[in-house]
Amino acid sequence: MRGWRADLHIHSVLSPCASLAMSPARIVREARRAGLDLIAVCDHNAAENGRYARRLAAGEPVVLMGMEIQTSEEVEVLAYFADEEPALLLQGELHAFLPDIPCDPDLFGDQLVVDDGDEIVRRIDTLLLSPVGLALYDVVARVEDLGGVAVPAHVDRVPGGLLGVLGLFPEGEWPPAVEIAPWTSLADAYRTWPELRQRAILRSSDAHYPEEIGRAWTEFYVSDLTLDEVRRALHGRDGRRIQPGPAVKENR
Amino acid sequence: MQLSQVSAELGLDALATPEPNREVRGGYCSDLLSDVLAHAQPGDLWITHQRHLNVVAVAKLREAAGVVFVRGLRPAPEVIARAQAEGVNLLLAAHPAFETAGRLYALLHR
Repeated sequence: MRGWRADLHIHSVLSPCASLAMSPARIVREARRAGLDLIAVCDHNAAENGRYARRLAAGEPVVLMGMEIQTSEEVEVLAYFADEEPALLLQGELHAFLPDIPCDPDLFGDQLVVDDGDEIVRRIDTLLLSPVGLALYDVVARVEDLGGVAVPAHVDRVPGGLLGVLGLFPEGEWPPAVEIAPWTSLADAYRTWPELRQRAILRSSDAHYPEEIGRAWTEFYVSDLTLDEVRRALHGRDGRRIQPGPAVKENR
Repeated sequence: MQLSQVSAELGLDALATPEPNREVRGGYCSDLLSDVLAHAQPGDLWITHQRHLNVVAVAKLREAAGVVFVRGLRPAPEVIARAQAEGVNLLLAAHPAFETAGRLYALLHR
């Protein structure tokens, strides 16, 4: 067991709000520069660019399939998968529940699927930056049914964070682990939300620009970099655990 | 003004009214539950689009006179059942939030 540095929340050019420079190739390059062992490309309600980052990275770093799902309550949830198929299947399911709002690139930015050769594969026309018509409970259940792991994103943020939107954790076991915003210190988070002490805390960059990749990270103490090991660490099982890195200084 | 009277005056549908005699002292509009926890006052009638189960817990914690879901957005049966069990009044407005709040304001300040 050793510590591995992970940044599990990186947006690509498929997110309208992310920089056009965030191609899969650039993300992999910047992740290596930042010394990351494990990353996830998490676009808004989309997973497609993760497959190209994976091919390029070839295990250096390990790339989980991921996405940032916006539920009908407007809570944002990160979903992680070991394989491409369930992630892409879920993307298709979610898109059927997206409101039919076109993405005007001048207003929102471009939504581009870019391959491992930096070529544009296609443009997604429906705005991805919308809540899907599925409740939080249903989204988490579907992610888990498909073998994935669901973690609420930047829980302390308003809007978009679970605690910001819903005020308190829903009843039940989920979530065992939460992501806090890159700039929130653990002390501040615990002061505002004492119930966070019962959960593992994940910190990632939420990078929208290349230079932000790896600005915030979490150490994973696991035996190897698989989704099963990530899941154990998030649950604190079998001696696996996570330790968030320091907060980013500036708020963007 | 009592909740049952406010409900009748505004033409709201009663989804769960375990406490129909609660006094409505004011109103609060928000879809962010953390904001309601921080700023709503006891006795407020809370106007919202948010239909998650946590609405019941937050309404109870803040001692809201009741919750009004707007634009005909009906919460799931489990939310209504929980509200009934927890003594939280739930109402449904056919109108959007702006109009619902305007009518409530006029009613409480006439």
